[in-house]
Amino acid sequence: MAAQLLNGMGFKEVINMTGGIKAWDSNTAIGPEDLGLTLFTGKESPEETLIVAYSMEKGLMEFYLSMVPKVTNDDTRKVFEKLATIEVKHQERLLAEYHRISGSAESRDDFEERLVAPAMEGGLTTEEYIDRYRPDLNVVVEVVSLAMAIEAQALDLYQRAADRSDTEASQSVLIDIANEERAHLKQLAALLDA
Amino acid sequence: MRWKQFFSRVKSLDAPAARSFMETLAADQYNLIDVRQPGEYAAKHIPGAKLIPLGDLSDCAGDIDPTKPTVVY
Repeated sequence: MAAQLLNGMGFKEVINMTGGIKAWDSNTAIGPEDLGLTLFTGKESPEETLIVAYSMEKGLMEFYLSMVPKVTNDDTRKVFEKLATIEVKHQERLLAEYHRISGSAESRDDFEERLVAPAMEGGLTTEEYIDRYRPDLNVVVEVVSLAMAIEAQALDLYQRAADRSDTEASQSVLIDIANEERAHLKQLAALLDA
Repeated sequence: MRWKQFFSRVKSLDAPAARSFMETLAADQYNLIDVRQPGEYAAKHIPGAKLIPLGDLSDCAGDIDPTKPTVVY
């Protein structure tokens, strides 16, 4: 089997995950290996990488805010507001990283002039996420689960993008963002426990 | 003859244990490989998994860093 093969090729530590994808007990991602990679072609500079990531976070924030007037349930409305607030914090982290790397002190407004208008975070559009997961937007668990599905998809995109990146500095940015996405997922899981 | 090569030094972990293992590491400190076919991968995969179908594994293993722990499914 695959693990034996890699082991035989001198791989230092090979772990066979039993049960396959069916046994995976957390969020999954969909799509072919190049999904969303028109946004991250591999040739972006670190600054460009941060601009794309920021654009996606902003798109996601706007999606959550757009849901606020659409839901009738107070609890889920608060969840959408909280999710939007979390996205703003993520954007602030990306902007701070952009400042650090570029050496600029551009204002948020000026920075936002540069943004692209990509699909929402993770490479899929709002409609595609809603169609796929069909959450009841008035049930807290379903709203948070939708958010987790989106974050998992985004995590997948950032890791695939890192794999394809031409420059070490950009790859490093993408790995950092991927690590943050993993923390975001934990944050959302905590919302479910609350 | 290196008999050792015929004995399994491969660890098996169930999915929750594999997930915990990966969560202790930063995203670039391990490899996660999906050895199924492209259609299966596209239908559903673990976030961050790299697709290398089983038949391509020998040829493409050079793309993966063998010094990092490698989870395979």
